[in-house]
Amino acid sequence: MAKVKNWQLKREMDYPYDEHRPKRQWSIIFDLNKCIACQTCTLACKTTWTSGKGQEYMFWNNVETKPYGSYPLAWDVRILEKLGKQEWARNATYQGKTIFESAPPTERALHYAPVDEDWMYPNVGEDDCAGTVNQGGHVGALPHDKWFFYLPRTCAHCTYPACLAACPRKAIYKREEDGIVLIDQSRCKGYGECVRACPYKKSMYNPHTRTSEKCVGCYPAVEQGLQPQCVVNCIGKIRIMGFINPPWNAREDNPVDYLVHKKQIALPYYPQLGLEPNIYYIPPIHADREYLHQMFGPLVDGAVERYRQLTSDPVAQGLLVLMGSTDRIIHGFKVKDGTARGYDEKGAELVSVPVVEPVMERLAWDEKLGAVRNNTP
Amino acid sequence: MTRKGNGTGSTGHHAEVDLFRRRMLQGLLGLGAVAASDAVAAPLRFFKPMHVDNPLAHYPNRDWERAYRDIFKADSSFVFLCAPNDTHNCLLRAYVKNGVITRIGPTYGYGKAEDLYGNRASHRWDPRICQKGLALVRRIYGDRRVKAPMVRRGFKAWADAGFPRGADGKPDPKYFERGKDKWLRVSWDDAYALTARALDNITRTYSGPQGARLLQAQGYDPAMVEALEGAGTQTIKLRGGMAFLGATRIFGLYRFANMMALADAAVRGVKPEESVGARGWDSYSWHTDLPPGHPMVTGAQTNDFDLFAVEHSKLCLVWGMNWITTKMPDSHWLTEARLKGTKVVAITVEYSATATKADEAVIIRPGTDPAFALGLAQVIISKRLHDDGWVARNTDLPFLVRMDTLQPLRPAEVIGNYQSARPANVTFLKKGEKAPPVAQQKMQVIAESMAGDLQPFVIWDKKARKAAAVTRDDWGPAFAKLGVEPDVRAKLKVKLVDGSEVEVRTVFSLMEQYLNENFTPKQTEQITGAPAKAIESLAVQIARNPEKTLFAMGMGPNQFFNSDLKDRAVFLVAALTRNLGFPGGNVGSYAGNYRAALFGGMPTFALEDPFNVQPDPAGKASVRKTIHYESLHYYNYGDRPLRVANKVFTGHGHMPTPTKAMWLNNSNSVIGNVKWHYDVVHNTLPRIELIAYSDWWWTGSCEYSDIVFGCDSWAEFKHPDMTASCTNPFVQMYPRTPLKRIFDTRSDIEIIAGVSHALARIYNDPRFSEMFKGVAEDRVEGYLQRIVDASPALRGYKVEDLLARAEQGVPALMNNRTYPRASSYEQQKGEQPWHTRSGRLEFYRPEPEFVASGENMVVYREPVDSTFYEPNVIVARPHPAIRPEKPQDFGLRPDDLSTEARQVRNVVLTGEELLRSKHPLRAKNFSHIYHTPKYRHGAHTTPVDTDFTSVLFGPFGDVYRHDKRLPSVTEGYVDMNPADARALGVDDGDYVWVDADPEDRPYRGWKPGTEELKISRLLLRVRFYPGTPRNVARTWHNMYGATFGSVRGHEGREDGLAKNPETNYQAMFRYGSHQSATRAWLRPTLMTDSLVHKDMFGQVIAKGFAPDIHCPVGAPREAFVRFSKAEQGGVGGEGLWRPAALGFRPTYENAAMKQYLGGAFIKVRS
Repeated sequence: MAKVKNWQLKREMDYPYDEHRPKRQWSIIFDLNKCIACQTCTLACKTTWTSGKGQEYMFWNNVETKPYGSYPLAWDVRILEKLGKQEWARNATYQGKTIFESAPPTERALHYAPVDEDWMYPNVGEDDCAGTVNQGGHVGALPHDKWFFYLPRTCAHCTYPACLAACPRKAIYKREEDGIVLIDQSRCKGYGECVRACPYKKSMYNPHTRTSEKCVGCYPAVEQGLQPQCVVNCIGKIRIMGFINPPWNAREDNPVDYLVHKKQIALPYYPQLGLEPNIYYIPPIHADREYLHQMFGPLVDGAVERYRQLTSDPVAQGLLVLMGSTDRIIHGFKVKDGTARGYDEKGAELVSVPVVEPVMERLAWDEKLGAVRNNTP
Repeated sequence: MTRKGNGTGSTGHHAEVDLFRRRMLQGLLGLGAVAASDAVAAPLRFFKPMHVDNPLAHYPNRDWERAYRDIFKADSSFVFLCAPNDTHNCLLRAYVKNGVITRIGPTYGYGKAEDLYGNRASHRWDPRICQKGLALVRRIYGDRRVKAPMVRRGFKAWADAGFPRGADGKPDPKYFERGKDKWLRVSWDDAYALTARALDNITRTYSGPQGARLLQAQGYDPAMVEALEGAGTQTIKLRGGMAFLGATRIFGLYRFANMMALADAAVRGVKPEESVGARGWDSYSWHTDLPPGHPMVTGAQTNDFDLFAVEHSKLCLVWGMNWITTKMPDSHWLTEARLKGTKVVAITVEYSATATKADEAVIIRPGTDPAFALGLAQVIISKRLHDDGWVARNTDLPFLVRMDTLQPLRPAEVIGNYQSARPANVTFLKKGEKAPPVAQQKMQVIAESMAGDLQPFVIWDKKARKAAAVTRDDWGPAFAKLGVEPDVRAKLKVKLVDGSEVEVRTVFSLMEQYLNENFTPKQTEQITGAPAKAIESLAVQIARNPEKTLFAMGMGPNQFFNSDLKDRAVFLVAALTRNLGFPGGNVGSYAGNYRAALFGGMPTFALEDPFNVQPDPAGKASVRKTIHYESLHYYNYGDRPLRVANKVFTGHGHMPTPTKAMWLNNSNSVIGNVKWHYDVVHNTLPRIELIAYSDWWWTGSCEYSDIVFGCDSWAEFKHPDMTASCTNPFVQMYPRTPLKRIFDTRSDIEIIAGVSHALARIYNDPRFSEMFKGVAEDRVEGYLQRIVDASPALRGYKVEDLLARAEQGVPALMNNRTYPRASSYEQQKGEQPWHTRSGRLEFYRPEPEFVASGENMVVYREPVDSTFYEPNVIVARPHPAIRPEKPQDFGLRPDDLSTEARQVRNVVLTGEELLRSKHPLRAKNFSHIYHTPKYRHGAHTTPVDTDFTSVLFGPFGDVYRHDKRLPSVTEGYVDMNPADARALGVDDGDYVWVDADPEDRPYRGWKPGTEELKISRLLLRVRFYPGTPRNVARTWHNMYGATFGSVRGHEGREDGLAKNPETNYQAMFRYGSHQSATRAWLRPTLMTDSLVHKDMFGQVIAKGFAPDIHCPVGAPREAFVRFSKAEQGGVGGEGLWRPAALGFRPTYENAAMKQYLGGAFIKVRS
């Protein structure tokens, strides 16, 4: 085991390979306060990548309702149970063990292996809330006393992928140009070690091709400067894909860096597992805080507070309404005078949007065209 | 599926093969194919040693990556419009490989939409799409496409035999084994000819005195036979399914109906001016989408606002509306408004998806929304938080009502020599005079014969201490010119000019008394369940945000019997707090896509004079209405009007005719998803002689048809069309697409033209063909341009430009007065009065029907079935203005609580008495309010049965169908509070029978042990759902019900699929449907001949029945049910459902799950 730096845990940790960060790291940010579980991302992914034989049950991208929803069944309960109770310092230094550090002697990572039936009900738990509603309920304040929220999930294209660590054929690799993690379909033998090792359960076995498969980060799109299918189809406009820098290289005009490092309102999920995942979530402000600690770590308190204060932050507002306004990858952004602008790699403008959509009034009578323009036609 | 297999994966199950048979079309040949060809080229390649040192840093073998690039790459793409009835409408881009659509995506063109003046929408509108649109890739090629014109065997036999009939005119039932018969594929010409022959035969059979005699012999209500006016054409009912969704191809059926006057003229030999067309059925009101109280208050069909207006509010009440699941593409406006400081309050009956996006949520008892609104009004008035000035200028609240007659006091009654001048802000039309074209109607227009409906009112002037007249012109800013100071609380005796004295009170004073006596926060809490504190706090917040509070009202409260009272009460709250007509302060109702009035020029197409056809589609057409419209609710009610005891409650103008033929397109809501579905199937359809459907998907409605025309899918359009929406500002074109037709289908408008052409041959009258010449000449654009030119919000656009932009994925903006459109905008600005008698917002309804119902004031009635208490009672302490007609007044026993009697029963109870009363079925262990809202996985039933969407629809979705009881890859279920389920001895995932009132459900006259009852009785999976209060159960609306054929499949097929072996129809219930538990309900105050309101198109003021404006709306969320356990939830009926057994379901939590829920796996240390 090598010692690698995991900034999400604010410490070094064990990993089978030496630390190597790609030139650029693919990353998606999800604003969970905007996710509506419409499953458009799920269908975008499914219809693009997994409608073939052997892929029937696969959802590389899925959306599950927390806390009762999960795909495969109880994936997070089970890995958390395996890992056991862990501690975390309020300053964000993780004091517990990662799945690499608690791996059994013959394994690369601590894991649980789902059985076939665990993949049966991909939307179990949908809209089931924690707490019970009684007649005469009044949810009067944030956080809510009963709650659920939606968690959209793709492969996190981790800095320290467990799938890659576990592959006995070394058929899983991380691309230098964008950090996307791929399973080489020509070399995979379908041993399923990645399926077992990935704690997020984002590797899936295809019994028809007899290989394991996973989210490819839509690299064929990313290579063309386009955001992934799950992002460009996101009607909740909750997602933005970009290239994240580690905190020591963060750039304030990079949308992803801005939300993760500058504003610190977007957090990795289950970072304690030790994979340095590269999908980040703006936590739901209405959900139970203890539960959110378990999912996002101690920084969640500050993230929620800061998010609630965005009502007086026009720059962050601008970025958050810029999300989903272009299908291109936004490398830089600027918000000024009520307009948010996104730029490509070379600094050319990709899109600009008003932070507040304006009210426009037309003349009640258009003399030239001979038409009334009214609101009750 | 995994290596362990257990027979569910690669061993090839039927279901799996069946579901994924389209795989080849998906272009997902990918991985296997690439690997194989490489292997052929270099057989030893995979065994070549390959050294990877650190796969984080370097990987040598990357050529294979092109496999996914190939999958992603498309040969070409094109744009089409996806427009189920969901109020959104999205231009989508289809990606094509080898001539087949492989996937669908957004166009990102919405940010390029412009209006005629250069105003532009922003890219915040992008992307517009949803999972249902993406799933179309599997539906366009789906096995349930209607692939050709199909005719039911028995029907064809009847036609071939020359339409034989018995002495009473009825065909032999042997020809009408609907739902069980075989289907025959016929040619298009044969299908057209057969339809035309049947229409002709039915017209001839039921025309004239002989026709009336036959209908009487068949037992139709005499009032209905009379309404026929001797014209057999009026037994033919046409309906374009949500016609607004297709200006030409769907409205085309109404054009066809209007054209049928030619047939009437021929059959009866009457003159053109005496001939009558077929009947047109309503749309918006049929779906219970119409908020029926809106025209009662504002005069307009619906007051609403484009949803993105939420950015301009400070407080947004999302009320009975699951915005997050049913307005998905517009959800981001809500979540983004919050980001900028808008407070969102959800008023709901459960902890819903939308509640999770709210700052506050109030959970009320279903159907008590009017009471909740009245509670808010009480707080606002008692705390004096209302805006007196705005109320005085803009509402009828200061008007005096005579307590003796309950009619408004009129100036002439109290002011000596009062001379009433005609209102100046409305144009009067002399008899025979036509209104100006809709696009040029700058003012409201009314027939002179209705002048008496615009009489002035009286207020009490505090300053002068005398009565003062207020005319229809004295409203808004003009009111100040009167120089009066109205006493809104006036309550006094006035001397009339005839010398008598009469007590008068303002509407405000009457309402205030009613509110203070019945709807204090405490009283409101007892009825609604909402805590008094929450009611008070919310009322104060609304009052503190004048012009900045939006009331986004949803379909939920609309689907209760008291829905109009909800509207009237909500408007009261909005009016009191100056929240109507402002971009950030307004009332809106969001159900269905309806605002056909945006296409104000529609009559130039739909109502073109068939006796004087303009053969040039783009030419100027003369309009003549020969069609009569009718509410579909009478058909739903057994093809009957509402006649209870000795009274007919259906107004003369509303009266339906007997239904003998029906032809519908683009809709599954009239048979397949109809309220009281099995009553329609078993009791009403057997009386109908021709049922024709045009659709591109084999729905439950097709199951019971005689002729099914296979239509083009949206992706195959060969004729363009146009639509728009009531929630967003776009006008959208359906472009022609380059995709070849996949099956032997035709466009809707070609089918209409085809039948018309066949009629031309039968009647030897070329005008039938000329009516659709534009179709034959492929110039449908001409009709569209005709409509555009005559529509206020569109005039100035060129259809070819709109189409060219649509092909690029770019829509255009509607040119309404504002962006976002806000109803009542002109009114609050003082430019136009409201479309009411008084020109103001009206809260008092003096019409006799309202007074007789005890609803002249805004009162609260209990739900008619969904209640634990005595149904449909008016809640009031004795009040001088609530003096309804009592049951015994029209020959009904006061204690008759049957469902029929309930609809017309005007019984007044106090709140305390109500809470002590009981729903009559509670004595028989009926326990649950059962409601059926809509959800994210379907737009109505599109495309819920498509595998990719189905499998995500609910907790039981399983693509491999481990449990062969599963009717499809998912199934319908009922959400139940866990404590309720446990009390019933039911586990999570078990099956239960759901029974509503046995008096008439699942259908009238059901008999035990029959096949009919077997398919009709509802069997559902139970889901433990902690988000619903006790005794309130829910099933989602968007599912396909069981039919004779689906049950035959479920019981007879090896795979157990509830799929009709004859038609491929796929049910999502094993037995019954979510429509098994409710029934048709007719509400007297929605069938008046007296309500004054705006007509459909333009600024014309009309009265009485108007389709989609003033007519019945039904109440499909009204059902009180009993559950009984049927089967265990484990696979094959053994044991507990697996997720529950493992401890991951609510109330079944294992130790780890309990820790997880509490966040115990991480401890944060300081």
